[in-house]
Amino acid sequence: MQVSELKIKGDHFILHPYGSAFWKERSTLLVADVHLGKAAHFRKNGMAVPTGTMFRAYEKIDTLIRKFNPDTLCFLGDLFHSSPNNEWDLFADWTTHIESDIVLIKGNHDLIPEHRLESLGIHIRDSWDLPPFYLTHEPNEDGDTFNICGHIHPGVRLRGPGRQSLRLPCFFKKEHQLILPAFGEFTGKHVLSPQATDQVYAVTPEEVLLVSG
Amino acid sequence: MKTQTIIQEATAWFNQRGWQPFPFQKQTWKAWLEGKNGLLNAPTGSGKTFALWVPIALSLKHHTTSKSAKSGVKAIWITPLRALSLEIAQASKAFAEEMEIDLQVGIRTGDTSTKERAAQRKKMPDLLITTPESLHLLLASKDFKKHFRNCKAIVADEWHELLGSKRGVQTELAISRLKSLCPELRIWGISATIGNIEQAREVLLGPGSESLRNSVLIRAKIQKKIQVHSIIPDTMEKFPWRGHLGIHLLDEVIPILRGSRSTLLFTNTRSQCEIWFQAILAKYPEFAGEIAMHHGSIDKKTRLWVEEAIRHDRLKAVVCTSSLDLGVDFAPVETIIQIGGPKGVARFLQRAGRSGHQPGKNSTIYFLPTHAIELIEASALKKAVKEKAVEDRMPYLLCFDVLIQYLTTLAVAEGFYPKEIYPEIRSTFCFQGITDDQWQWVLNFITMGSQSLREYDEYRKVEVMDDGKFKVNSRGIAMRHRLSVGTIVSDAVLTVKYLKGGYLGHIEEWFISKLQPGDVFTFAGRNLELFRIKQMQVLVKRSKKKNAKVPSWMGGRMSFSSQMSALLRDELYLAGKDHIPSKSKELKALAPVFERQQKESIVPGPEEFLIETFKTREGYHVIFYPFEGRFVHEAMGSLLAYRISLLQPISFSLAFNDYGFELLSDQPVDIEQVVDNNLFSTAYLHDDLHKSLNATEMARRKFRDIAVISGLVFQGYPDKQLKSKHLQSSSQLFFNVFKDFEPDNLLYLQAYRETFEHSLEEGRLAQALERIEKQEIVWKCCEKPTPFSFPIITDRLREKLSSEKLSDRIRKMQLQLEK
Repeated sequence: MQVSELKIKGDHFILHPYGSAFWKERSTLLVADVHLGKAAHFRKNGMAVPTGTMFRAYEKIDTLIRKFNPDTLCFLGDLFHSSPNNEWDLFADWTTHIESDIVLIKGNHDLIPEHRLESLGIHIRDSWDLPPFYLTHEPNEDGDTFNICGHIHPGVRLRGPGRQSLRLPCFFKKEHQLILPAFGEFTGKHVLSPQATDQVYAVTPEEVLLVSG
Repeated sequence: MKTQTIIQEATAWFNQRGWQPFPFQKQTWKAWLEGKNGLLNAPTGSGKTFALWVPIALSLKHHTTSKSAKSGVKAIWITPLRALSLEIAQASKAFAEEMEIDLQVGIRTGDTSTKERAAQRKKMPDLLITTPESLHLLLASKDFKKHFRNCKAIVADEWHELLGSKRGVQTELAISRLKSLCPELRIWGISATIGNIEQAREVLLGPGSESLRNSVLIRAKIQKKIQVHSIIPDTMEKFPWRGHLGIHLLDEVIPILRGSRSTLLFTNTRSQCEIWFQAILAKYPEFAGEIAMHHGSIDKKTRLWVEEAIRHDRLKAVVCTSSLDLGVDFAPVETIIQIGGPKGVARFLQRAGRSGHQPGKNSTIYFLPTHAIELIEASALKKAVKEKAVEDRMPYLLCFDVLIQYLTTLAVAEGFYPKEIYPEIRSTFCFQGITDDQWQWVLNFITMGSQSLREYDEYRKVEVMDDGKFKVNSRGIAMRHRLSVGTIVSDAVLTVKYLKGGYLGHIEEWFISKLQPGDVFTFAGRNLELFRIKQMQVLVKRSKKKNAKVPSWMGGRMSFSSQMSALLRDELYLAGKDHIPSKSKELKALAPVFERQQKESIVPGPEEFLIETFKTREGYHVIFYPFEGRFVHEAMGSLLAYRISLLQPISFSLAFNDYGFELLSDQPVDIEQVVDNNLFSTAYLHDDLHKSLNATEMARRKFRDIAVISGLVFQGYPDKQLKSKHLQSSSQLFFNVFKDFEPDNLLYLQAYRETFEHSLEEGRLAQALERIEKQEIVWKCCEKPTPFSFPIITDRLREKLSSEKLSDRIRKMQLQLEK
């Protein structure tokens, strides 16, 4: 798989086709909008999502940890899709063999009581100020800092000769912001219209590609 | 009482009103009274309601004896349209009253009020008029057995409409249940003429069943003369080569409207309907108040008002869609205008038949072609009307989505025992081929959500009780199921309301999602400004702006039937020849277009298969002309694109219409290679179709309905969208996870089967390819687009196929920057 490297304010970020970013200087793996338990939530309500989807997110994060060996694993919100269900046990089991520190920046979907997450050793934050960077779940463009966030599930539409067109998830970089694509398998995407000053890194199953305007 | 006496009694009633029963009505009375099942082949508005309601009502009058046999529903009348139920109720009530038969007539559809439903729960009407969905909901009620065990008759009205849809499958399943429950049940269908009328009877009654053996097929021999005229412009220069609106012929339509008492203008899509309505009023404001519009998205009250107004001769003209295809007669209607190709002979005949109901009058239909080439269609249609070449309606097979919905329905009510229900299911036409493995799969699906239970799983839908009964115990699941039963044909729809209140109708979500607040769009004949979207409501204000967007509704695209395609090819081949005296005036009018086509390319004859290539700013175009109808072209287009893509890495965008299809690419295609490699071969057809990316895309679209019907996707509660938000998901995501994680899922496979059997029409595709193999391929390398190619290359709705690497494609593409 082909990664893309991005330099922001002197720091280096490796964009991976799985939809995560590895921040070299801080040795931090950034993952947004996993929506764990979405499949389980549907199944509990009588909608038959195949069970295989439940394990896919963990397998992908495991692969990324083996590749980058990060000190910190930071979830940029919406880790869980809704209130606790049996997915919680699966998640709790999984965290026991994660050696990195786990940080969760809370998102609008995260309804799991904080004490349960903290009991697994997870650090919970509303946002994370790491100057000149500022990590949040929902985009935050106040301040002079560079914002890294999720929430949007960004996608992009491309058009080419012969009336070709494509819709792909993407990393969306504005002048003071980087929005990560949704990591979860079972999520949709929201197509954004970039300005000329924006940079868009399209995510394909094989690689992350900078596309030009 | 003797059959003969009842027939006399009925005839007397007819005579009193100055009527004579038709022979088919008497035949039907007799057959019913002799205890037979059957199918009545009679057109809309021929008195078919009386053919069946008369013997049902009269025999109930004479046979009802014991008190216990008196309670509950005696007869069920299934109609495909809610709008029709009212008409049937009025006719049957009137008859019962005049014959002094004490029978309650009731309607149960999605429109029935809660109060009335409650009253029906206490006492069911004797004749229940309902839709397939509402009947299924009644199956899900607790007192189902009590209410229905005395039922003597079930009539499926407009059976030809139901037959080719999943609602037909719902009807089959409901009948299979009632057959077991009601020993004296007689089953009847009423159908317009279709190609496979014998099969229609078999589907209704069950293949090889006792009911089928004891049944008759009665054909009403009512011949009405149909006059077909084409609207041809004075000069062909005025006539566009492309387009689908036909507005340029507006001035030719006005004299027809003025000369006729009342006229129905049929359009093919709802957007076309809106545009025509606006255009007439804009150019001829004197029609204000005299014309109206009728289509499926308009508020029901308005639609009913329009229907009443036509009946009472208060309207000069109504612009409508297929929403007025069915239904009871509109006596004042003298003329029909069909705008654009009707795509099928049966539909054209049906629409023509909506006019000329006055005694001794003919049906008159005008065909208005929307672009030049469509005139060939007009000429072909005239022949079709003469020859009565009517299409088949293909019944669905093995609809696991409907089966899952049905079993869940039974489980929601009293629960069911599989060994009791399985034989019933297998007796239906749709599920005659179900295997034991598939049955087990379906049972596993509703109880475990898949074929294996996994750790950490809390799947809950249907539970198996200790005694083996399958039952839904969760109230939430039961409620969600009941809410989704009605949605068998569905796209997410939003209601359109004025900001100050006042309901206007409903609109598909995908259209409204393209608009921003402040944008103006045309709906229900008004220009409206989008204020905002709140939950499932679109709030609008009136707007004075002139330039409005017109919503286009899905489902407007239909394909030629094979009969129609064959007729069309014959006409075309005729057109190519020079001195044929039998040329119709349509073909004569087209002469300038054909001359130009002949000059730049050729007009193919019966032995020739035409391929044109040319280059424009957009890229390299290759156009193929099989003249087989849109669906076959879609399939053949993706098949060819796939086979060419095996020869070289290439990306195509595909466009198709009823005449041919186009492959557009940014690089030239070597046509000699296409011919040398015999890419039109029928060998490996099925495999290649499967592999063409397009089949996946089409299956993905089919899967939308399947996911909703089988309850995979929940569309939300009517008035509390927010609460169910966590349960909403798109069927697209489901399709993808099945593809990756459960490719043997029967619902996933069904999407492909439906694609191949119903959309791609694989059988017809194979026949078309065989025909092409016998033809000589004529490749014309043209300078510029030809008259034949024009309607195709300007089509914007396109499919894609590529064998290039994704990253290579991206490198050639451009971001869509904000303007």
